[in-house]
Amino acid sequence: MGTVHARSLDPLPMQGPELGVQADDMDLGEPEQEEKQEVLENKDVVVQHVHIDGLGRTKEDILTYEVADVFRAKNLIDVMKKSHEARQKLLRLGIFRHVEVVIDTTEGADALPNGLDVTFEVKELRRMTGSYNTMVGNNEGSMVLGLKLPNVFGRAEKLTFQFSYGTKETSYGLSFFKPQPGHFERNFSINLYKVTGQFPWSSLRETDRGVSTEFSFPIWRTNHTLKWEGVWRELGCLARTASFSVREESGHSLKSSLSHTMVIDTRNSTILPRKGALLKINQELAGYTGGDVSFLKEDFEIQLNKTLFWDSVRCCGGNYCLCLFIAVFYLGGPTSVRGYSMYSIGPQSEGDYLGGEAFWAGGLHLYTPLPFRPGRGGFGELFRTHFFLNAGNLCNLNYGEGPRAHLSKLAECIRWSYGAGIVLRLGNIARLELNYCIPMGVQSGDRICDGVQFGAGIRFL
Amino acid sequence: MSLAAEAFVSQIAAAEPWPENATLYQPLKEDQILLSDSASSLAVQTFLRMCGLPVLVSCRANAEYMSPSGKVPFIHVGNQVVSELGLIVQFTKAKGHSLSDGLDDVQRAEMKAYMELVNNMLLTAELYIQWCDDYTATEISRPRYSSPYSWPLNHILAYQKQWEVRRKMNAIGWSGKSLEQVYEDVSQCCQALSQRLGTQPYFFNKQPTELDALVFGHLFTILTTQLTNDELAEKVKSYTNLLSFCHRIEQAYFKEHDRESQSGSSRHSKGSLP
Repeated sequence: MGTVHARSLDPLPMQGPELGVQADDMDLGEPEQEEKQEVLENKDVVVQHVHIDGLGRTKEDILTYEVADVFRAKNLIDVMKKSHEARQKLLRLGIFRHVEVVIDTTEGADALPNGLDVTFEVKELRRMTGSYNTMVGNNEGSMVLGLKLPNVFGRAEKLTFQFSYGTKETSYGLSFFKPQPGHFERNFSINLYKVTGQFPWSSLRETDRGVSTEFSFPIWRTNHTLKWEGVWRELGCLARTASFSVREESGHSLKSSLSHTMVIDTRNSTILPRKGALLKINQELAGYTGGDVSFLKEDFEIQLNKTLFWDSVRCCGGNYCLCLFIAVFYLGGPTSVRGYSMYSIGPQSEGDYLGGEAFWAGGLHLYTPLPFRPGRGGFGELFRTHFFLNAGNLCNLNYGEGPRAHLSKLAECIRWSYGAGIVLRLGNIARLELNYCIPMGVQSGDRICDGVQFGAGIRFL
Repeated sequence: MSLAAEAFVSQIAAAEPWPENATLYQPLKEDQILLSDSASSLAVQTFLRMCGLPVLVSCRANAEYMSPSGKVPFIHVGNQVVSELGLIVQFTKAKGHSLSDGLDDVQRAEMKAYMELVNNMLLTAELYIQWCDDYTATEISRPRYSSPYSWPLNHILAYQKQWEVRRKMNAIGWSGKSLEQVYEDVSQCCQALSQRLGTQPYFFNKQPTELDALVFGHLFTILTTQLTNDELAEKVKSYTNLLSFCHRIEQAYFKEHDRESQSGSSRHSKGSLP
């Protein structure tokens, strides 16, 4: 028998700690031999050798786990399937540019008559990739330098560094990621960062310098993450006319917190999913490991998607967050309750929004393809029209009363809005929206944005 | 302060009368405040008492960061926030209260000159002793400055402040001076003040002005604050008319609060005059 090439599929994006695998529309490649299919299926084979060609600095011991399954294949179709799965696993390590699979009969002294050799031809990513950009915006110009070192020590460790030097602010981030050999879903990472932000809706300027370590591991079908974070936060007033409540918050504080997140994600895409559900529960406890800030924060997020007739998708989602002792949550804007200005719901003082200690928000969306389907199958697939109904409320807790009073407080004065718009998906990361919104249930002090509202972001309600 | 900013402050200030709940913010009195800040705060409090304007004193750990200019003390009046004695004097003048109205132009210029002398000499000397003298910085200034914060933030902030003050000393040429020279400068400054005061009750004869408030704030704090050694206090004590000046103002404006200031005294501040 001559050489049999397993047809290589289009390269899929690598899985790393920041991107999700683009798993939609993924089909298993079927071999083309229709006439010979019956014969091959019945033929028992034994995989004798598995080679990996093209390794440079990658250590072999981590790769043996990924390809171990191939040895268990019993017939040819099985070999192809398992090789394909092994190829997926090798790609998700994030250290290879591409992986080709070659299946051949064994040759040599110890060759069995039905023995097969599987060879993975890999090309490693370059040792270091860098990028350099300049950005101008918001009355500030900045230079951004990025460095990425995939596979630093040979076992799929990844080191990334980003540095932004601007006319007003400087920020940086350094991150080291290491998966456990053989169990890529179990990994840990260490991050060091400094970020600055300006929040004109609260007249606040914030600089955070922090270090964090996190461990991720799967348990059954859920994914858990344990994280310790230490942050030095510096708050300042953005303008001389900031309200006194905001001025009182200025200064330095140190937060040391432990947090735990559990995620169950069965959606087929993070942006505009067609089916699946997401459940995310996050707890954060600060103050017991040092620092001078104490709080307990809870965060629940749920999203359900279902495809209806005519290619439309119904999506409903909700989010509930609670934080004891500190007002940290903001609500409103094109990424949460549409129809309201950015983070402009809830308690405010002299025009500055102070945030609240608890909030809930929910949304019901109906996504349909563009009317008359222009650009079908190509560019037009990135767009969707959507009809939405959003609702939410933000308030401060009253510690004297019980949970029932808290729930009733969140249930009164609900802000909600409805409308329609167009959504554009950017890659697998972000989303742009242009909506016509009608806000309802507006309370005094909220700032609304009725009519056309534009939004860009990563996480939307 | 620029001309435009002055006009802005005056216009806003003149609109409303002095409210009852005007508040002065300073760092924590017991554990945090340092000599220079305490002196500035006392100067402002004395000035407001001399004007007969009520003010509540509120101590906050982040007072320095709350202040619009980064310096303490600052006052919150109505919805205005004003920091430092010079600006506060202008602010109260816009509201119709002033201590230096009776002075003619020559005297006013003289008053400004002496206030500059106190700021450039006494205040700078206080800052030097606090932050540039290693022993004082290690024993007193850094522990006190960073007391409200937890590890490691306390060390970071204390060293940041120390470097900032040392850079400033470098810029004005004081970093080459030794401690002895600084004490000598303080002595000379006190001599100039003593000569100007002479035997009068206040610097401009019968009525106190903001200069009296400023000088009292600094001298009283120097006399009642315990540093690593008593040399600074001794320099001031050697001028008897300055001592009696401090006594006089303490009696006149702080008598009813004597009990309060004594009970609030700590290892750092000795409370009343010796």
